[in-house]
Parts: sequence; structure tokens; C-alpha cells
Amino acid sequence: MQLLRSKNNISPQKTIKLEKFLIESGDGATVLRLYLKEGASMNSVIYKRKTPLLVLLIPAFLFMTLFLYYPFVMNIFNSFTKITGLGTSGEGYNTPWYANYVHLLDDPLMRTSLKNTLLLMLATLVFQVGIALLLALMVDSIRKGTQFFRTVYFFPIVISATALGLLFNLIFLYNGGMINQLLEKLGSGAIDWKDGTHYLFTMFFPVMWQYVGFYFVILVTGLNNISRDIYEAAEIDGASGLGRIRYITLPLLRNVLCVCLTLAITGALKVFDLPWIMMGSGMPLDKSWLTGTYMYHQTFSMGDVDYGSTIGIVIVVLGVVVSQIANRIFKEKDY
Amino acid sequence: MKKVIALVLALTVCGSLVLGCQNTTKTSVTDTTAAGPATTKATTAETTAAAGPAKITVVTSYGGDDGNRANYETAVAAYEKATGNTVNDASGTSNEEWKAKIMADFETGAEPDVLFYFNGADANDLVNNKKVVSIDTIRAAYPDFASNMKDDLIPASPADGQKYAVPVNGYWEALYVNKSVLEACGVKVPGADYTWTQFLTDCETIKAKGYTPIACSLAEVPHYWFEYSIFNHDTVATHATLPASSTDTAGKAWVAGLNDIKTLFDKGYFPTNTLTSTDAETFQLMADNKAAFAIDGSWKIGWFQENAADINDFTVTYVPAQNERKATDLIGGLSMGYYITEKAWNDPAKREACVKFVEAMTKDDVVSLFGATAVTALKNGTTAPADADSLTIAALAMTKSATGVAPAVQDKLNQTARTELFSGSIKNIVTGSLDTAKAIDAALAIKE
Repeated sequence: MQLLRSKNNISPQKTIKLEKFLIESGDGATVLRLYLKEGASMNSVIYKRKTPLLVLLIPAFLFMTLFLYYPFVMNIFNSFTKITGLGTSGEGYNTPWYANYVHLLDDPLMRTSLKNTLLLMLATLVFQVGIALLLALMVDSIRKGTQFFRTVYFFPIVISATALGLLFNLIFLYNGGMINQLLEKLGSGAIDWKDGTHYLFTMFFPVMWQYVGFYFVILVTGLNNISRDIYEAAEIDGASGLGRIRYITLPLLRNVLCVCLTLAITGALKVFDLPWIMMGSGMPLDKSWLTGTYMYHQTFSMGDVDYGSTIGIVIVVLGVVVSQIANRIFKEKDY
Repeated sequence: MKKVIALVLALTVCGSLVLGCQNTTKTSVTDTTAAGPATTKATTAETTAAAGPAKITVVTSYGGDDGNRANYETAVAAYEKATGNTVNDASGTSNEEWKAKIMADFETGAEPDVLFYFNGADANDLVNNKKVVSIDTIRAAYPDFASNMKDDLIPASPADGQKYAVPVNGYWEALYVNKSVLEACGVKVPGADYTWTQFLTDCETIKAKGYTPIACSLAEVPHYWFEYSIFNHDTVATHATLPASSTDTAGKAWVAGLNDIKTLFDKGYFPTNTLTSTDAETFQLMADNKAAFAIDGSWKIGWFQENAADINDFTVTYVPAQNERKATDLIGGLSMGYYITEKAWNDPAKREACVKFVEAMTKDDVVSLFGATAVTALKNGTTAPADADSLTIAALAMTKSATGVAPAVQDKLNQTARTELFSGSIKNIVTGSLDTAKAIDAALAIKE
């Protein structure tokens, strides 16, 4: 048993008692693990008495209950009732009460929105996290300008989605849009970037572009935490650049990547604003609906609040299921 | 000590939450209970209780790229200067989403103080739920309110027959023409005897010359072509009849009209991207001298005045006719007006400001400024500006020679049915993926 006394913490009440220490050996590394004795005097005020903590937790709990869990429970209830306008009370139960759930199954636009949302999720994994990883690896390899690139790539995050939607609308505009002007200068005809052939690219590209920087910053931070000594050792051993990425960077970055992938998948379910601004009412010909935009359309444009509630529940269920799957697949590992 | 501080902090946060909710609830209760008879008990003392400048929230359709946006801003600025009140303007562009948002605002207790909105079936919920104040109620406290209007021409609500909205000016819908495009194509500017057959021939010529015959977004605003295409299969007397199904007389007119739009689409007379473009995009084709024709309302004159390089390149005329309809028969009426909400009426700090605002926006000179060419309820009529441009003069000549005016039948559809038809069905009808009769029956089946 050892007693440590910091020069700044003279008081006996603030000393740290070490219960035990272990020395573990493995692969040439020695790890010293220290465990604080339960009920050590430093923790006595904050952790021994739980009541103040509980009291402090109550406001947040009330807030969440009032503005999240209660509306969610009401949303489940609303999905069984007939509501023809926002804020109006239900006009009794649907006939049968599960009619909206039956409608979900035979609604072709719901199938379209689910398909597009899953596609967006896939695109998010491949392009958002993929491109972010590539950029992070490249920026990590340079000596100067790291901070500059961090700022440049992160910048789209701080622009509102509405502004970005308008910006990309101008870029993809059919008559006089930036890309079509370039194509016309090159002698090619204008392309309708929102037609049945190009709509997925037009809808997904701005979403990918906006969030690449977010994952880039997370990954760069993860890369910075990898010790340079390991790279130097590998270099001495003759490892190539790709070899170092394959055998050092990616394994040590695994947990950070897992967090990014989980965030990307669950984030894809919530994408709404950019597609809504750019693709309006599911253009072209109801092909571009996402679960979020379709729910909004049903609730606000069509005034079918109970069906909108049902779609909302599907989104929540989908979110929980997908995030659970993602958590299992991309489970963090201890090294 | 820490425990006490924690407790105080927790109670403070909880208290602020409760107080916040309580305040909202109080307002809502006032809103609900104040409706109806309670309004009539409004006293003069309350009327004059407002002291000092007030801040009122106003929602109109004069937002975005509306042709009267500049006129609206001028009128609002004049009101603010004259009264010292301030206006929180939350105007938007009139479309189905805008209407839905307004309804949602009312239903969630976030309604404006003054609303410029439709007076037909669109406002039934506002009237039925006693969210707006009738003109009679306002006149009980302010006898001169809307006294410059002919009462007979102020439209009554279809919900209860009472009058709620003070009209600014009415509207007409007609064919805007880009004369320079027609000239380049060797096509004459349509006149009062313009037929549908001639129109199709002209469209073919215009298309062959590389121009877009019709500027219209079938994905976003097919409303005007819908109205006139149907009008071409019925009459001034029957146009406003809402069909019971696609098989009755009115329903058959709807089927024939929508099939005419499909024909225009099949022939390639709409813009290439009509199914993926916005209304603003397609109308830009008119300003850029790339499209020849567009049907829109009287409010669009202002847009041309703002966006056309040369206003003399544009004129407005009758929509081509077929069957019993004469080309000189117009779609028009007094469909919008200013409402004062119950919430504002019951707020002594805002009531006077709202009444003065509506009076300021419906003065003779302001109404004339907003649309001298339009149908009006003014006792003295509108006054055309001395420096009227060629487009305004053409509009005045057109309305003067109109042989009949029918209201827009789409105003009789509820929001859900209209969204289903215009936002969901027409684009699929023209591509042939949806049967016209089935689409009409599906929209008509939506009762709520």
C-alpha cells in the first residue's frame, strides 16, 4: 500500500489511496495499472452521497420526458387515430386501428423512401467516411498546412443546409447552371441533373460533401494519437507507405473508424434539409423520397398527420435496429 | 452547502420550465375561450387600451419573388412611419406548403396577428375554429373599418356565410406572351379570337425554331394550366362546379382538360425539365427570351416589371379557347384578403395596430398600386397609374373586354386533395403512369 501526496494537495482528505498495483508484461511493453480504493477520501463529497447528483439530473430528465419521450408515446398513439391537421385532436381510431401500418406496406412511395434511405446509408459509408479517411491520411502525411486543411474541409459543416441546398441548386440548374454552362462551353448538351438518371447523384453529392469534413476531423484526431515511434520503427524495418497504413494506421485507427461508421449510418437516417431544398416533392416523379422528406410531406403538405406519425415510428425503429447492427459489426476493441 | 446549491439550481430550472409552459397554456386558453361571443363583448376601453407603438406579426403571400413585393414593402414602411408601430413580416410565396404552414401555425398557437390569405374553402378551418374575427365584429368597435369597400363584393366565407377578409384586389389568370420570341418565330400575338387549334399550330412552329413554347413547371405549379384546360371543356356558368366523380359532367370536363395537358406534354411544348424544375426556373425562360407563353395571375405583372429586360417585349392576352368557352372568358375573382386573428383582436396592445394595418393596406391608392388591372371591391374603383407600362395597359384592355369571369374551381378542393392532385398526380398523368380518371377520383375522394 502506498500513499501519494501531491505538493498542491496537502490536505489528508485530498490524498489518493492506492488499493493495489499490478504490473503486466506483454510484447515488451510494461503497463502499470493503478486502482483507486473504493470510497477514497477524495471522492467522499461528490460520489459518496448520490442525492445531489440525482437532484441535478432531474431537470434534464424532466426536459427529456416532456419534449422527447412523451411526444414519442403520443406519436405511437396518434398513428392509430385519424388526425387531419397539425395540432387538431384525433377523430377517433382508424378502421381498423392499425390501418396506417397496413398502408405502409402497400404504399409504393414508402418503399421508394426506404430504398433511397438505405442507399444513402451505403453511400455515406463509402463516400463520406471513405473520402474523409483518404483526406485524413493525406493530411496526416504532410508536415505543414495540417491546420489549414482541417479548417478548409470542416468549413461546409458550419454552413446551413438551406444555404447549401440553394447553392447546389444553382450548380445543378438546367438552364444556366454552373455545370451545364461548362458542358455547353465544351460543346456538350445540357444535362437535367434532376431527371430519372441523375437524381441520386444530385441528391447525394451535396450530402456527402457537407459531412466529409466532420469525419475528416475525427479521423485526423485519431491519427494524431498514433505514436510516431511506431511509424519510425516500421520505416527502419523497411515497411512501405501503403504497408504502414495497412498494418499500423488502420488497425490502430479501428475504434475511431468504428465510431465514424456508426455515426455515419445513424446520421444518414436523419438527412432531411438538403434533399428537401433540392428535390422538392420527391422529384423526379416521386423517385427521390427519403423517409424524412416523405414523413414531412405527408404531415405538412398532405395534412395526413396520423400517417406521418406512422412513418415517424418507422424511422425510429429503423434507427434503433440499424444502430444496434452497426454497434455489433463495428464493435470497439481494446488493444 | 453544495447540496443546498444543487437543490436551488434544480428547483430554478424546474420552475422556469413550469413557468414557460404555464405562460403558453394561458395564451392558448385565452385564444380558445375568447372566440365567438366573447369577441363581441370587447369594450371600447380595451380598444383604446393600447398605449405606445405595437409590434405586430403579419403573414402575406407577398414574399419571395412575388410581383408586388416591392409595393408591399413600400406600403408597410408607410404604415410604420405613420403609426410608429413595427411590422414583423413573415410573408412567403403562395403554394401548398405555405398554406400548410399557416394552418400549422394556427393549430399550434403560433398564428400571426394579421393574415393575408384565401377567403374560400382554404380558410374554412380558420372560421370554423374561430381563429379569425369577422368584419362585422370589427365594425362594432371600428365603424369605419373597410368602409371604402362595396360590401356586396366582399366575399363571404363558405363555412358560415360571414365576411372575414378585407380584399385588396381580385385576380385574373391569363396568357403572358413573350412578343420577341413570337416575332423570331414568325407567330402573331394571340388575340380575342385565339383558338386551341391555332395555339397548337403556333406551339409547333415555336418548338421547331428551338424555343420553348410553354413556360410551366408541371412538377410544382400546374395549377393555371389545369384551370384553363378544364375551363375549355365547360362554361362560365358551370366551371366552378366541383365534380362528384370523374364520370359526371364536371368530372368529364376535368378528364378532358387534364388529357389536353398530357397532349401538350407529349408534343414537347413544355420545358425539357418541366418535371424536375421549379416555377421560378421555368418563368426565368420567359425573362431570358427562351419561352413564348405562360399562364399566370394578375400578380405576375410585377414580376415581369422587375425581371424583364424590356417590358415592351411582353404582353398579356386571353388563353386559347375550345368548345363553348370564348377566349375572352377569364378565370378571376376576389380570392384573398386581410384577416385579423382572434389572438391579436383579444390583445389590447395589438388590436388597434392590426386594424390600422388592414386599413392602411386596403386604402384606395394602395389597392390601385397593387393591381390597377384586377377585379376590385373598392367603391371608387382602382386608378391606373399615369405612367402605366405596356403590359399594364394590355392587362387593362384585356379585363375591359372580358365576356365572362369564372372563379377557380381548385379553390373548392381541400388542401390534401389539392396537394394530391397538383403535387402528386398531374406529373404522373402526363407521363402516362397514372390514369386521368383514377387520379381525379382519388383526389375527389379526399374529403378531409
